[in-house]
Amino acid sequence: MALSATDLKRGGAASALLLPATLLVVVALVAPMLTLLRYSFNAYDPIMLMRETFTLENYARFFAEPYYHEVILTTLAVAFGASFGALLLGFPLAYFLARTKSRYKSLLVVLVVFPLLVGNVVRAAGWIALFGSQGILNVTLIKLGLIESPLEIMYTDWAVIIGTLSVVMPFMVLSLQSVIENVDFSVVDAALNLGASRFQAFRLVFLPLVMPGVTAGFALIFILCMNAYATPYLLGGPGYKMMAPALYEQISVISNWPFGSALAFILMATTVLATLVVTRVVRGKTV
Amino acid sequence: MARALTSRLLFGSLIVLLYLFLLLPVLGITYVSFFNSQFLSFPPPGYTLRWFANVFEQEALISGFITSAEVAVLASLIGVVSGVLASLALVHFEFPGREAIKSFLLAPLLVPGIVIGTALYVFYIQIAQSTGWNPTRSLVGLVIAHVMLTIPWSVRLIAASMGMLDRSVEEAARNLGAGALKAFLLVTLPRMRAGIVAAALFSFVISFENLEVSVLLVQPGATTLPIAMLQYIEWNMDPTLAAASTVQILVIGALLLISDRFVKLSQVV
Repeated sequence: MALSATDLKRGGAASALLLPATLLVVVALVAPMLTLLRYSFNAYDPIMLMRETFTLENYARFFAEPYYHEVILTTLAVAFGASFGALLLGFPLAYFLARTKSRYKSLLVVLVVFPLLVGNVVRAAGWIALFGSQGILNVTLIKLGLIESPLEIMYTDWAVIIGTLSVVMPFMVLSLQSVIENVDFSVVDAALNLGASRFQAFRLVFLPLVMPGVTAGFALIFILCMNAYATPYLLGGPGYKMMAPALYEQISVISNWPFGSALAFILMATTVLATLVVTRVVRGKTV
Repeated sequence: MARALTSRLLFGSLIVLLYLFLLLPVLGITYVSFFNSQFLSFPPPGYTLRWFANVFEQEALISGFITSAEVAVLASLIGVVSGVLASLALVHFEFPGREAIKSFLLAPLLVPGIVIGTALYVFYIQIAQSTGWNPTRSLVGLVIAHVMLTIPWSVRLIAASMGMLDRSVEEAARNLGAGALKAFLLVTLPRMRAGIVAAALFSFVISFENLEVSVLLVQPGATTLPIAMLQYIEWNMDPTLAAASTVQILVIGALLLISDRFVKLSQVV
């Protein structure tokens, strides 16, 4: 098919409009990532810091050292725990927001978005005030006579999972709410009228309709969890083994750039792979 | 009937509990900021406003606030403007590779922020070594990094809101004699307002509170607010940080209320 003059003109306009954003992503993401990829094949040198070569040593080191197995497994466990938790807790809230006819709906949505806007560090500090051994939660539970000695929550996996979950839950609620709002509920009603039980109508009609939103929301928050730095650092303690703090340490404290670069790529590859696997599994189960 | 009522009550209390869970850390930190004690121990011996006065003596927090605000304004501006232009091309034109380019512009969302920060950190140092100009010495480096947060969110929100627009209105304007630019400025742009406001608000906030992308790119003495807060909390566990958080919560709350007057947030996010 030959391109007409108008086609070319329109193509030119489209390219001109796309140029700034595309150029920025190329300069600020693609070029730096390629640099980082190249560095991950270099060797660490105690004096020169980095020696140019081509080795797979950095990647091999990650797979050989049990410490890093623990780091990546903890990261995955926290990310899965927090993402599934956010899905489970976010679903009823999203359903409520999508279906409510309250005149305060706008306010109710803003209340969900609000914690998102105040930032991770502020919320982590809030959890510290609640979870500490002299914190509001423990002291209240002791006063009520429910427990005798303070619960050890701070610096445990639970603190990190709860903290991360609360960070990502608003994103989950927002993505779910928008898909549930677009569901045509007369289809669900039709299933009920035709004799489906409530569970069947939910499982066979409603769920497949919202699944694209569930997987999209899940992918988004899973990436945020894998990336968490402030929450594990503050709620898990400085020694808490997750990828983002480990990566920061290699680059900034130890200055082992080649190994740090390899860690960055392993983190990214693991994130992409896990997201793909989960969305495939979830989709396959319901459709 | 009774069963329907019980399940409604159960669902209602579940929703209240979920809201409580989401807002608990925010309420907790606000409450602690009034404690009249050096530590975060509960119950406090009394209440005071002195930590709020103390916030304004913490130079790191004040300069962090200013840096974060500057970076967030510049990054959102660049992100929203380039996002509007890109969305126009993505929604208004049919061309080969359109989906690929859209995915490419959304790609920064798929890369963990700490990885973006690391990549830019080594890239900037390489630039500094070969040209002598170090982007991290000024805000330029940080702004470019944050543009990787604002572009995907802008494209996502603006393109989504434009996808719902009816193109025939703009075509009608063209048929009635308006030029392409005039039709765009007078017809299309005003109707993109909701998407643009949402993108600007979201970009600003995402950039303002970002820690993962920035943590390797800041210079000592010129950090962003979240990093200044993190550094403060490492050494001091007094309610000053809680007071700073409360101020931030109030500012963000006011911002939300103001923007809600112009565009209904529930319709755009």
